[in-house]
Amino acid sequence: MKDELTRIIDSGQKLGAEYVEVRAQRLFRTVITSKDSRIEVVRKGIENGAAIRVLVNGAWGFASNGTLEPKQLMDSVSEACRMAKAASLRVKEPAKLADIKTIEARVTIKPKANPKEVPTEKKINMLLAEDKIIFDCDKNVKSCTINYLDISGTNYFANSDKTYIEQDKLYLYLSTVVWAREADKLALGSDVVGYTTGFEVFETETPEKIGRRAAMRSLDQLKAKTPKGGTYPAIIGPQIIGVFAHEAFGHLAEADLTLAGSVLIDKLGKKVGSEIVNIVDDGTIEGAIGTYKYDDEGVPAQKTPLIKNGEIVGLMHNRETAQKYGTKPTGNARAEDFRYEPIIRQRNTYFTKGDRSFEEMLEDIKLGYYIKNYRGGQANLDGTFQVGVQEAHEIVNGELGASVRNVSFSGNTLETLYRVDAVGKDFELNVGVCGKGQAAFCGAGGPHTRVKEVLIGGGA
Amino acid sequence: MAELKPEDLINFGKKAINVATKKGANEAEAFLSEILSTTVNIERGQIAKNMRKKDQGLGIRVVCNKSVGFSYTNVLTDKSIEQTAIEAFHTAKASKPDKNWGGFSSPKRFSSTQNAYDKKLVALSSDELVEIASIMLNEAASFDNRVFVAEGSVETHVSSRTVVNSYGVEAFDEGTRIDCGLATIAREGQEVTPICQEFNAERVYKIDPKWIGKEAAKKAISSLKARKIESGDLTVVFDQVALYLLLYFTFINAIKADQVQRKQSALEGKIGEKIASELVTIYDDGLMANGLQTWKFDCEGVPCQKTPIIEKGVLRHYLYDCYTANKDGVQSTGNALRAGFGAQYMLTPIIQATNFTLTSGSKSPEDLIKDVDNGILVQFLQGAHSSNPSSGEFSVVATPAWKIEKGEIAYAVKGAMLAGRIFDVLNNVSALGNNMRKIEQLVAPWITSEKVRVIGK
Repeated sequence: MKDELTRIIDSGQKLGAEYVEVRAQRLFRTVITSKDSRIEVVRKGIENGAAIRVLVNGAWGFASNGTLEPKQLMDSVSEACRMAKAASLRVKEPAKLADIKTIEARVTIKPKANPKEVPTEKKINMLLAEDKIIFDCDKNVKSCTINYLDISGTNYFANSDKTYIEQDKLYLYLSTVVWAREADKLALGSDVVGYTTGFEVFETETPEKIGRRAAMRSLDQLKAKTPKGGTYPAIIGPQIIGVFAHEAFGHLAEADLTLAGSVLIDKLGKKVGSEIVNIVDDGTIEGAIGTYKYDDEGVPAQKTPLIKNGEIVGLMHNRETAQKYGTKPTGNARAEDFRYEPIIRQRNTYFTKGDRSFEEMLEDIKLGYYIKNYRGGQANLDGTFQVGVQEAHEIVNGELGASVRNVSFSGNTLETLYRVDAVGKDFELNVGVCGKGQAAFCGAGGPHTRVKEVLIGGGA
Repeated sequence: MAELKPEDLINFGKKAINVATKKGANEAEAFLSEILSTTVNIERGQIAKNMRKKDQGLGIRVVCNKSVGFSYTNVLTDKSIEQTAIEAFHTAKASKPDKNWGGFSSPKRFSSTQNAYDKKLVALSSDELVEIASIMLNEAASFDNRVFVAEGSVETHVSSRTVVNSYGVEAFDEGTRIDCGLATIAREGQEVTPICQEFNAERVYKIDPKWIGKEAAKKAISSLKARKIESGDLTVVFDQVALYLLLYFTFINAIKADQVQRKQSALEGKIGEKIASELVTIYDDGLMANGLQTWKFDCEGVPCQKTPIIEKGVLRHYLYDCYTANKDGVQSTGNALRAGFGAQYMLTPIIQATNFTLTSGSKSPEDLIKDVDNGILVQFLQGAHSSNPSSGEFSVVATPAWKIEKGEIAYAVKGAMLAGRIFDVLNNVSALGNNMRKIEQLVAPWITSEKVRVIGK
């Protein structure tokens, strides 16, 4: 592959590109969907393709093509150069790339059980076993969808700085949604797990555990009442503090969005939260869903501190934004696949541990909420965030009370970071799929964390 | 469009089906999709990137004894197609039978569509797209020096879908689309507004980049000096984007036949019942002229059609694909779509709305505002995807939004949340605008709904 990619790069340079990069992939994917104890479909497929990105006079050109045919890729590189030239006529501030070390590497993954070699029947039986556990939980469970996904194969990367990397890819992902119903009350609960390890992980994270978790989440909500809207103190569980780290803060600290005018634009080196707040974006946690060795610009992944003791100490960069900030790239450039260009994405983003126990944090709350499990979240550049919640409880006089449903909470990210007044000593990392025009598997987490005041958007 | 002719695509499909049926499959269906897109991206106030993407592939569904297998490839050679068909056959064998399986579609006549393909869009060069992007950008940047263009893009698509199955369906259709959009913020002192957007999305070359630039800038400026408001039950005027987000993640799910059959929908058993205000009439029109989701046939080769959903507040119909239609003993409404992560050819069908049309009222947007004594105008909902698709409950941030007092826009609203059930919102619709507009699956005017719970301070 190296020779073929090198020829494409040479050709791009001859056409006047100051930078050329080629990413090629050979990936295999299996998706299995079960709905209410039946296997709806088993999908298997091959995706070959390549993406070529060039820089001409400071403007980007990009061409992707679902093929690995050398002749077609030669056409693509001239296409990319033509595209870049068209854009370059209007460029006011030419893009430049931060220097990185030249790398030649082959990253192999050899899991105990490579999902590509696990028989389809075994995967199907795992889904059906989980489905049975879920329906056996309670007669109020009415429906359940389970989606299993594995991706394996190899990515190839080469650029005009003479970096060449072959990197195996491996993803396992299992999402479960359970619907429960009692009379007119409808509820849904979900659970998602994901790894960059082999299929053997399901021996410890068993279908029983996953199924029961999802089922209980939906059943709990049948008993739940709608909360009163308004501002309250809250203890935020690891899953939601992760979503907060990713959505409410993380996106603002992606350097492309920071430069696009996020509220962090002038905050580097400044205090943005209480002293006990520490947030990290980490691409090095073994087996976690957001972990990889090299990013899609050939930069090694690393552990990047974003907030230290309440102060912004770093942003997430690709080579272009790192150059703008006069700093080093952090290895956050990721592309979903050959169809997309690499952009700045988070990896595993989390609050680091503190020293408080859950009970201690509860004690001081007279009336508030324990927000445990999320359904989705979204942030805006002005720092307004919203996190939809599927599992939450009231806190009354220092004790956990009734479950509440249809909760979401919202606020301003920086104001909320200042209101963090206790950080737990536990830690958990969870899995999500983030959409920023393209999808990326991301990890997110942290400890139980207490916030003095958030806006709870409750029902009528 | 691309290198492949319609007959090439159909032949690839036939080839796949022949391999599968020869192996012993009871039935088989091939789906091919191609897409060619050109995009100009605006980043941080300047044109930064120009992209061209090309992807095509084939997916084949194979059924053996009512168990379904699927395989796909984006390598379109005879050898690869043969391997893909065999793989699909093996996955069907490995899977479990489904007693409700009712078979693929049979050949039917397709209606013609209007304004779904425009040669002019195919011919647009990347230089011309760069020019359109510049007009949009310059208009916004020169409007007011507090405006900052966060991002934007101009994108053209040419795409095709082909369905071939073992019952004799052989269908090919192609379409074009152009999307231009700009996202702005305004900054003044320490204040940053939320993202404000404006866009055109059309199937033919009919866009107004100057208007987009100006409106996106205007919105950002009018979002400055935002204030918190008191909580209460207020009248809410929903702009089409806000309405789309709300309906897409709640109501549209509740009328999908699979969700109804699987007891996930609050609208199960409600056909013929009044579920919305009498002002509300909705139909799903897969053949609408210039509709963003208009095709001659759906992703299973079933003709697209116009299906009544709500007539004067009464629920009339659910949306069906072949599988769910067979289960209910009715005809598919042509709502099978291949959508999700990845390209269409990688996916099996799901049910989705096409051009979900809320019929127009008679009031101008200005009159809608004039009629509101105490309320808000909402243009975007943050977090709509976290709504409960089953119960229709939502709890979202309205941003950007403006306070309406005594028939006039008073000021921008900061961080207000809306909470409630979509069915209550539809029941409390009190007025409809006459400003029809399309956004993804929705075609609608502005609507006014009474007594929506707003959580402010």
